[in-house]
Amino acid sequence: MVALADLTLVEAAEAVRNGDATSVELLTSCWERMEAVNPTVNATIWVDRLGAERAARAADASRDTNEWCGPLHGVPLAHKDMYYQAGKPCTCGSRLRKDFVPDYTASVIERLSTAGAYTFAGLNMAEFAQNPTGHNREFGDCHNPWNPPYITGGSSSGSGAAVAARFVYAALGSDTGGSIRLPASACGVTGLKPTQTRVSRYGAMPLSFTLDNVGPLTRTARDCARVMSLIAGRDPKDPTSAHLPVPDYEGALDGDVRGMRIGIPTNYFFDNADPAVTAAIEQAVEVLVARGATVTRLPLPVMDAVSGYGSIISRVEAATIHGEWMRHRSQDYAQHLSGRMYPGYAIPGPYYVESLSRRGPVLRAFADTVFAQVDVLATPTIRTALPTLAETDIDNGPPGTEVTFLAVSANTRPFNYLGLPAISIPCGFDGNGLPIGLQLAGRPFVEARLMRIADAYQRDTDWHARRPPLVDAPDNPGLLLA
Amino acid sequence: MDPFLADLELTIARWHGVDAPNEPGRRMAADLVNTIAAFEALRGTLKFEDEPASFETALLETREMP
Repeated sequence: MVALADLTLVEAAEAVRNGDATSVELLTSCWERMEAVNPTVNATIWVDRLGAERAARAADASRDTNEWCGPLHGVPLAHKDMYYQAGKPCTCGSRLRKDFVPDYTASVIERLSTAGAYTFAGLNMAEFAQNPTGHNREFGDCHNPWNPPYITGGSSSGSGAAVAARFVYAALGSDTGGSIRLPASACGVTGLKPTQTRVSRYGAMPLSFTLDNVGPLTRTARDCARVMSLIAGRDPKDPTSAHLPVPDYEGALDGDVRGMRIGIPTNYFFDNADPAVTAAIEQAVEVLVARGATVTRLPLPVMDAVSGYGSIISRVEAATIHGEWMRHRSQDYAQHLSGRMYPGYAIPGPYYVESLSRRGPVLRAFADTVFAQVDVLATPTIRTALPTLAETDIDNGPPGTEVTFLAVSANTRPFNYLGLPAISIPCGFDGNGLPIGLQLAGRPFVEARLMRIADAYQRDTDWHARRPPLVDAPDNPGLLLA
Repeated sequence: MDPFLADLELTIARWHGVDAPNEPGRRMAADLVNTIAAFEALRGTLKFEDEPASFETALLETREMP
């Protein structure tokens, strides 16, 4: 017997399609699970039970008349609370937008809706998507479902926690410096940052126009492929989105990684890494080797340029976007947020333009060298042992707390400046019982390859299938699928 | 106050009308000395490109060709 809320996204969609469950039953199970675990994890900002129940009943009614919307017919979802949905709240995790109700809908939400999904909650997030930990002064910090004093990772904190705690089948996050991959790693789920331009950003709150990405957090690579197949592709409303056709992501999941060349960097990504994290990554790569992949250890070029230039763009763009509020309402931000944006005003324009204009040459230098030798890179998503919320609390911690805070995203930021796709999948646990993430990155537009490797790994391991202990509390069975 | 930071605060206030919001903000602003050092170290290492679409072009050119 499996609780409906414990199904994967693909299984939930199939259960509705096959008549094994109704959409109302899926929603009820997710809702009961949410009520049981959310007081501990605090993964939601708002909920819309009545609206979701209406959508669920409508999905069941159209199923009864054999009118199918698409591959997510009747599946309840929830997303990071920064995707505009006409008539619904969109707080962006902030006091400043606490009462904001947009009058149009993000393209990715429309695409998921067209596929038959509906939204029942807005998920917790870092204020304006600007921290890698999950702290939130206005709506309360999000807590790691595996061990609540620890960070969830951010900024898509609620997305990671809700998917891990098994009350959301899949959630959209956003990733400007690691904000999908970090909560995926810290919460033990799968998270994909697509290639820059692969997914439309229309209707998503901007943090950094240049570096923002939209992508999914899911329980499996197959679920990730399902979501990507729906949200990727050209969007006329987002002129920066790529014209390239979208591959058959789910069809690429054949388990075959024979001959795949995996690169393990000998510089940067393992600097001062926690031994347990390093061991988990090495063991994960061995699983892929057993399936026929090969391993090459290689130094990565231009990492100083990636780090130096990459640190400029989002700070300047965020400072610019928030200029009016920083002038007049800076005390309405959490200290760590206004404090991070403040230096952005002192960065000279020529530094910003230099960082932008060298992005192409740096990408060429990196890709031409690295991907001539390997097909993908394997690194830790977070190289240190996962810190606690207290250890990374800049607002209340001692001077120097920002060093621990910023170290969390050291391994994810480079792929934002480079614009490369990267996925994080669970590959073990550290000494405190917190998940460890394996990050795989590749050439532009090789999302299908990353998900194929991730899926192959998940065929041979069960890290992704393990559930936080609080999910299995005896008073939390949820509705069951026979 | 550190003269570098004092100068930064003055410049930011004059150019942007933004005051230092708190002590973490001052600490992170003071850390810009490391940003400057990182940029100094990069000078002369890469060819400057002024074509505004160069990154998008690089994305397409470095992808795997069928």
